[in-house]
Amino acid sequence: MTPLLSFANVGKRFPDGGREITILDGVSFEIEAGVFVGVYGARRAGKSTLLRLAAGIERPDAGAVCFDGRVLNEMTSGERGHLLRGDLAFMASGDWRPNLGESVVDHVATSLGSEGLTVRDARRRARGALERVGVSATGGEEPAGSLSLAERTLVMLARALVHEPRLLLVDEPAVMPNLGDRDRFYVLLRELVRERNMALLVASEELGALQGAGVMMSISDGEVCTTEERGTVVPLPRRSAGGAERPGR
Amino acid sequence: MARVKANTRGWMRGASAPLRGALLGLVLERPGHGGELANRLVARLGETWRIDTNDVYRLLDQLVADGLLAAHEEPRRENQRRTRMVYRPTGQTEDALTSWMETLLPREPVRLGLHAKLAVARDEDAPRLVAALRDYERECLRLAQLVAPTTSSETQRSWTALVMDCTRDAVWGQLQSDIDWAARTRRRINERIKAQER
Repeated sequence: MTPLLSFANVGKRFPDGGREITILDGVSFEIEAGVFVGVYGARRAGKSTLLRLAAGIERPDAGAVCFDGRVLNEMTSGERGHLLRGDLAFMASGDWRPNLGESVVDHVATSLGSEGLTVRDARRRARGALERVGVSATGGEEPAGSLSLAERTLVMLARALVHEPRLLLVDEPAVMPNLGDRDRFYVLLRELVRERNMALLVASEELGALQGAGVMMSISDGEVCTTEERGTVVPLPRRSAGGAERPGR
Repeated sequence: MARVKANTRGWMRGASAPLRGALLGLVLERPGHGGELANRLVARLGETWRIDTNDVYRLLDQLVADGLLAAHEEPRRENQRRTRMVYRPTGQTEDALTSWMETLLPREPVRLGLHAKLAVARDEDAPRLVAALRDYERECLRLAQLVAPTTSSETQRSWTALVMDCTRDAVWGQLQSDIDWAARTRRRINERIKAQER
């Protein structure tokens, strides 16, 4: 069976003054549908780079990143962009850029712009996504710029979900100042994995943000350490209620 | 009759002190027999503590000997082969628990095996240490997987739910710190190996 996402000997370097620093070195793993993978690493360990490579936003210097059997680094930027508006979704806390005066529902609906939907249909889908993440109290008509940090994160999640992705990449969810808001967000992410048989890859510098992950990875000095012996991330049996959630085989 | 050692704090010393303290708290909440208390301990502290039922019986006996718990034989029911001991609080249990709560605990015995290896490692052991640190990092990640996640997203939580969340937080914090330490130590050793290769 073709894995949903695979890294094969992936290397990535960035210039640092007059020399180059290695961010990833020979990283290999595979992820299948319905799996929640947590990536832990300290600041500047390479977590965001790993996620951006998985999303096709960055190209590797060595090796190959494949999504559903297609090599991302061999695709045109147009093809990768199309993928990012469909089967793949990437959300990072720094990517909050609503247009001036744009309403919450329009901010979510505009991400569907190239799908040939009418404005009414796009807004209807946006409302559905907002309702699922719990931002529907005012119908999403308030200006996006007026939202709190926690609400913004939820709206960004709605923007990602509105495309009904098969793989959701979340870069650093632990930005919300309120611990209750964080817990609600983590619970929501796990519910979404179960509901949609969606693969989820979350990277954080807080181990607690990865609670409930079926597979854990850590990244440091360009190397990835994973709880899967061979670097192959496959679904594991679910635990009974109250235990750690693991994706079903 | 249990031997009473008034005002002694010896039970708070040693690696098993946290388990002894937790058992006092559980018995004070509700008396129970050894197996039941062991199950409650596992449910309360989580899978990462590796609690052995035999150890629980041994610790309960110690607490009885110290006068901090009392053991009474439970009347045998028709379907029971053996009588069971039920552990109940004594007049000293509550004060002992309070005293434990107020005591600054010594540093937990984490990473002990690796510490010992690092302390006596030779230059040629560097690759073995790197491998051991990587195994330890993987073990920490596996333990993190075992921690049951927060299931309730309600703002109004029960006290038990809150303290269990705080317990999880303690485990994640400790595992995160250990993963960071293992990664830093590997980096230091790897940098030395590379410098020697040049």
